[in-house]
Amino acid sequence: MSAGTVTTLPPNQPEHENLVEERLVAWFFVAALVYMAVSFLGGLLMALQLVRWNPLQGSEWLSPGRWRMIHTNAIAYGFLANAFLGALHWAVPRLTLRPVLSRALSYFIFVAWQVVVLSTAAGILMGQAQGIEWGETPVWIDPLALAGLLLVAINFMAPIIKAEGPLYVTLWYFMAAFVWTFLTYAMGNFLPEYFVPGTSGGAIAGLFIHDLVGLFVTPLGWGLMYYFVPILLQKPIWSHGLSLVGFWGLAFFYPLNGIHHFLYTPIPMFLQYGAVIATIAVELVVTTVIINFFGTIWGSGKAVVNNLPIRWFYTGMVLYFITCFQCALQVTLTFQALIHFTDWVVGHAHLVMFGVFTMWLMGIMTYLFPRLLRRPWYSYTLCEWHYWLSTAGIVSMFIDLTLAGVFQGYAWASLQPWDVSVELSEPFWIFRIFAGLTIIAGQLCFAWNLLMTWLGKTSDEPATSAATNAWGTA
Amino acid sequence: MMNSETNVTPTETVSASRRRSWITAALAVAILVPSLFGFGSKFLEFVALVRGDVDGAFAVTPVVNYLLASLGFLCLFAWAVLHGMFHDIERPKWTMLENEQRLDRHAPWPKLDALRKTR
Repeated sequence: MSAGTVTTLPPNQPEHENLVEERLVAWFFVAALVYMAVSFLGGLLMALQLVRWNPLQGSEWLSPGRWRMIHTNAIAYGFLANAFLGALHWAVPRLTLRPVLSRALSYFIFVAWQVVVLSTAAGILMGQAQGIEWGETPVWIDPLALAGLLLVAINFMAPIIKAEGPLYVTLWYFMAAFVWTFLTYAMGNFLPEYFVPGTSGGAIAGLFIHDLVGLFVTPLGWGLMYYFVPILLQKPIWSHGLSLVGFWGLAFFYPLNGIHHFLYTPIPMFLQYGAVIATIAVELVVTTVIINFFGTIWGSGKAVVNNLPIRWFYTGMVLYFITCFQCALQVTLTFQALIHFTDWVVGHAHLVMFGVFTMWLMGIMTYLFPRLLRRPWYSYTLCEWHYWLSTAGIVSMFIDLTLAGVFQGYAWASLQPWDVSVELSEPFWIFRIFAGLTIIAGQLCFAWNLLMTWLGKTSDEPATSAATNAWGTA
Repeated sequence: MMNSETNVTPTETVSASRRRSWITAALAVAILVPSLFGFGSKFLEFVALVRGDVDGAFAVTPVVNYLLASLGFLCLFAWAVLHGMFHDIERPKWTMLENEQRLDRHAPWPKLDALRKTR
């Protein structure tokens, strides 16, 4: 490892080492990648099950229904939550120029969150899941998870509240996410279970699953983009005012969206219509965010080629716009009549979770790991393979599942027997396995590259590829 | 302070700044007004249903959830306005970038150029 020029900081100016607990950032990222591997294994097993090639046949603990829940929970609470926590431990102290409330508390949160995630996995495998999508966390873990979320909020809010002057938009998003995630988790895991049964409980469950995306993942994701994109491009966001329009629009329009998951149900139609309108309003708000980011990169377009993290970020943004545009259409009753319960929805969900937020987090990790480990990537070629296999895999999976959904929808609409829709789906399901394997191959490239980098190995390839610029120059 | 290659400085031209402000305001109005109108009219329908139908109360739970969340943010918004969070609205983006550049100049990791030479 070579040392760069490090000069002395003026008095009263905090230094990076005093702000960021780098070891913890790396631990969170590694934990996230481990859970991602578990989640992908679960997804692969489910994909194999759909083509009737289940390698774990006969095991109740490892039955497909439970693996599916492991797949979704591991990506939400294992991968996304850990990766976000790692990125937050980097971004919040540097943005506020203050460390988190307590580093000891941060380490406690790290351990406690792994206990929560592992307990959730164990509970699901043992058949203790709750009947709420993404809220399957066994009831005895819910209070612990909620306490953990409260500690996270306290630990990060302390420096944010002390920050001087008008807040940067990232901190608005983060503050909202800390409050929303706590409320959303409480709403989805306690109200339908103990207080609001029946159809109202169903409406709450719809709010929960969508709010988990929109009020936990989305504000953290966009908050991090508003932080990392200007740093990597070395120019500020195009319009800070417009970014605040996007934030407040999300704050007021998003919370009612979730009922669009339950169109054509006994939930009163005005609520369903309200959710449709609120959703379309959010898509308009999203447009302002997209305009802002493309306004920012205007004049620096080469960065998409030359700077790998930027490429991850902007690919995720394009896919985000596609998924939001899709969302504005598919929440209409006409569209829902065709695609409800089909693989269209599965394709949409994968595009959001992997094509957007995982891509952003991969870009962040590509940028931060060399800094955390104090050495460049072992192989820039592997960084490129990671990006291209991931992108090719998710785009082909999305197209495949979207088409499958249309075929399934028309088969059902024309009152064909169920078997017909299954038979016509099989080519799409087989293709989906290969698309998934492509994504997994990309992540294996990343894992190998990370291991070699961590071990301090060097390769002979020239440092000329775009990944070199993961160090931050556009 | 900013990167000279990007040709963006805190002293950008007044006309560019004014144009950006106009575009931001136009987008804000074009998006928020119709959205608020649509949402508000649906909300009024909801109030009418709750008052007029014995089963209308059934729908209160999800809406109360929404109102509780939104009320908090309305308070936060009012607090932000009263504490000048939107005065000089573009300043935070410059401050953030300047802080980042200052932190990176004194960061413990080696610089890119130094790394390139070692490979």
